[in-house]
Amino acid sequence: MFKRLPNFAVTNQFGLFLLVIFFVLFFSFFTDGFSSRFNLFALSRVVAIDIMIGLAMMVVILTGGLNLSLGALGVSAAMFGGWLMETVGIPIIPAMLLTLAMGGFLGWINGYVTVKTGVHSFIVTLATMSIYFGMMTLFTEAEAFRKLPETFTDFGSLKIFNKYVSPLLLVSIFFVFLLFYFFKFTDLGRKLIAAGANPDAAELSGISVGQMFIYCHILSGLLAAVAALMLTSRIGAAIPSMAGNLGFDWLLPAFLAPVLGGTLLSGGKVTVFGTMLGAILVTLITNGLYLIEIGEFWIRFFLGIILLLAVLLDKAREFFAQKSNVLS
Amino acid sequence: MKITISIITSIFLLFGHYAMAGSSSTKVALVPGGPHPYFAAWEQAGKDAVKDFGLGKADYKVPAEWDLSQQNELIESLVGKGYNAVLVFPGDAVGTNKILGELDDAGIPTAALAGCVEQPTKAKFCFGTDTGHSAYLGTKQLIKALNGKGKIAHFTGFLVDPNTTLRIKAVEKAVAEAGGGVEIIQVIADIDAYEPADEKINAFMAAQGGEVDGIVTTAWVPAVVAAQALTNMGDKRIKMVGIDHDEVVLKAIKDGYVHGTMLQNPYGQGYIGSYVMDKVRGGCSFKANAPWKSTAQTNQFIDSGTVFVDINDVDTYVQAMRGISLEILETFESTYLNC
Amino acid sequence: MNFFPQEYFKKDWFGLLIVVLMSGVIISFFKPAFLSSFNLYVLMLSVSLWLVVAMSQMIIIAIGQMNLSVGAIGGLVAISFTGLMEVHGFSIPYAILTGLLIGLFCGFINGFLTVKTGISAFIITLATLYIFKGMNLGITEAQPFYQIPESIKNFGNAKIIGPVPYLIIIPIIITVMMWLLMNKTQSGRNMLAYGNSVQSSELMGISPTKVVITAHVISGFLAAIGGMLVVCRLQLGTPNIGDSWLLPSFAAPVIGGAVLAGGKVDVIATTLGVIIVAIISQALVIFKIDPFFVQILLGFMILIAVFINRYREYKEERRKKIFIYEASHE
Repeated sequence: MFKRLPNFAVTNQFGLFLLVIFFVLFFSFFTDGFSSRFNLFALSRVVAIDIMIGLAMMVVILTGGLNLSLGALGVSAAMFGGWLMETVGIPIIPAMLLTLAMGGFLGWINGYVTVKTGVHSFIVTLATMSIYFGMMTLFTEAEAFRKLPETFTDFGSLKIFNKYVSPLLLVSIFFVFLLFYFFKFTDLGRKLIAAGANPDAAELSGISVGQMFIYCHILSGLLAAVAALMLTSRIGAAIPSMAGNLGFDWLLPAFLAPVLGGTLLSGGKVTVFGTMLGAILVTLITNGLYLIEIGEFWIRFFLGIILLLAVLLDKAREFFAQKSNVLS
Repeated sequence: MKITISIITSIFLLFGHYAMAGSSSTKVALVPGGPHPYFAAWEQAGKDAVKDFGLGKADYKVPAEWDLSQQNELIESLVGKGYNAVLVFPGDAVGTNKILGELDDAGIPTAALAGCVEQPTKAKFCFGTDTGHSAYLGTKQLIKALNGKGKIAHFTGFLVDPNTTLRIKAVEKAVAEAGGGVEIIQVIADIDAYEPADEKINAFMAAQGGEVDGIVTTAWVPAVVAAQALTNMGDKRIKMVGIDHDEVVLKAIKDGYVHGTMLQNPYGQGYIGSYVMDKVRGGCSFKANAPWKSTAQTNQFIDSGTVFVDINDVDTYVQAMRGISLEILETFESTYLNC
Repeated sequence: MNFFPQEYFKKDWFGLLIVVLMSGVIISFFKPAFLSSFNLYVLMLSVSLWLVVAMSQMIIIAIGQMNLSVGAIGGLVAISFTGLMEVHGFSIPYAILTGLLIGLFCGFINGFLTVKTGISAFIITLATLYIFKGMNLGITEAQPFYQIPESIKNFGNAKIIGPVPYLIIIPIIITVMMWLLMNKTQSGRNMLAYGNSVQSSELMGISPTKVVITAHVISGFLAAIGGMLVVCRLQLGTPNIGDSWLLPSFAAPVIGGAVLAGGKVDVIATTLGVIIVAIISQALVIFKIDPFFVQILLGFMILIAVFINRYREYKEERRKKIFIYEASHE
């Protein structure tokens, strides 16, 4: 790890890291209550979920595609999990595993249809978004699962490290390291990146690109299901509206985190730690905007501006990187 | 708009004599489930409560969307900022309990306003319209207007709203009591946004307009859209009972296209709710034998009042609402609290 | 079969026309009320609104991009339009003009940012979706504007003749103009060429800046008209106008055979796509089917349309005996 440090210092992840530090200091000095125990705990919980949402989108962006159905998929999986735990009465661990399987399955549908039709994943996941969400509301009749096992729901309000941090954040960090290891050191992870970076070349070197893309969508479904389970545990119930209508409320954090983190929208690059830092930054800024009292209604406006600035900066960085390459 | 302002000013004048000197440390956050015109009166109610009862703060803070997570995030940040009492319209009847429990752990009293959370809960009480009862009374009024005979349709709001199921059941109950003469031919739900409501209600009118004799609406947006549709069609045959005080609905009542509306009391909810929060923070506790009402969700319910208004009293309903609010406020401490 | 020239069968819109007629016949067989004057009026109203929204998305699909902010522009224009009249006392023509200018400007921003930065339109319009919607909420604080002049309300209600609403005039004009634009003008052909292949269009001397900005400006303009039409229809200016536009805006063009990669859109087929979506939404209410089915059905219709389009392309390719390696992503 330490040998990588000099490299790390020149990446945009380092810039992000500085930004995070800057905003932490800024909000601590200029707002009431940012550094209060209650606020930091709440923040850690939101960050935990946003990291998972960001990662779930990141693995699809790797293919040069995207997953609009992320929220609908996550909620559908969580509702399935709620049904298993409450109505069927399956123990927590197997129920969670089955929930993940459901997430993976819905992701597989996205991937399969995208690859087999050759249609852009945007339109496929636009369609599956409304299908998943509609099916979910149809099956559940929009009724929430509210009597989940207490062990499961208590986890969401557990406080650790002197009550400053939610254990959900540890779960997310675990997944961050897991994914980092997966993409960096496993054969399959490297193949996924190769397929995303240059499909033609990957195909020539014997990688089945279609298969790899389907794996990416499955992974996305799995991670979205994890995020949804975490959200369920935090809310204490599986609720159809927990990601907004059609699950659309997840989309902004889903794109903000990887894009801020330096994931290329054209595909072929993953930045696991960048996505994590991106999610932290977004949550930090949202929280800060609430505390500064700019008016709750303007928050979306500012998040939109931040997304725009992020992609513009990213573009500028790319531009200057190319320029300096040409010069040297 | 004028009507809303006149309600606010008249209630303000009426409660003027409650003004107290001094200022308490209570900072109340009034948090609705999301942006919705129903809650707008809370803003003035909070301001008036600060003035009249000497609270530190009573601010109306709206989540940008109807989304439990965003509501939670907003409440958490408000508490981080030093608000020490929270009045909330629950984003979910059970889901909201989680955060209320966490606030309770942090020593912050909370109450559910305008809609209830299900028990067991850490909310001190639920103060709102007994939505089921209101829907029941409204349907009764409609059945009366139809002389106990006819086909009715029911338009209601978000299926995820804790109140919607209660409303559907209440309408069914009133119809069942009418004894066979009345029949519900269609329930259209999940239309608490204008565009889908407009499409579905008009499609309904087109298909069943000739058949249906009465309409009961139990959510704000469907009431507005249905009132508008009847006005546009120029149809005075179909009897409709709406809900709330949107200008479109009130005007349609005056013009004779809508039979009447069930008013709720959002201003009173915000005003009295803030007052009670201050009392609770000041050390008052609820009496063991307080005369709580029970609903399907909770047995610690206080009715903020509901009034049926038709063409005869549409101009003077403010008084009726005021009477109810005043009555609740005057007797609240002696009825519910040990101070 | 001699009535029809053979080539009609190959047109995108021919199959759709059959679907429209068939579904009309089937529904009115079970529910004669479907053909009642009032029902046709309601149907035409809903077609009028969605037609404008679909055209607003279609022109962006033509250049191979997508515009997520269509609904946000419509909503922002709707509340500006009504707010200017209610709060600032603008006269109707000025309010309309300002509304259109806001739409044009929003579209210009989308187009300018997309073409100048080279960032995908998806991300740009996702960001502007939140910016426009955020401005909308910030300005209105979620409160509707009620003071709509009588003449606008009347325009939203009046009928020309029989069941035909006045409101349909504007969408018809727009549809005709769009057909002319896409089929008879150089800039329409340029857009399609650009959508087909950015590189070769540049070789042909087509300016990407001009094409992309023009398309987005038109899209913003149409979204603005859509927003104002909804105001005429609802008779109030509520901040959540446009919230539900995203899925239908894609559904109609895609059902109409549009290729999302760009370069192929069909105005007539998109119009029929709008009519199909409208008929189906209405049929679900008439037959008292669960409202959630609307969403599921729209989703499936998009998927099926995508499959059919893909299949046709596949047959086309085979016929031409050209092997094209299609990467499974763009």
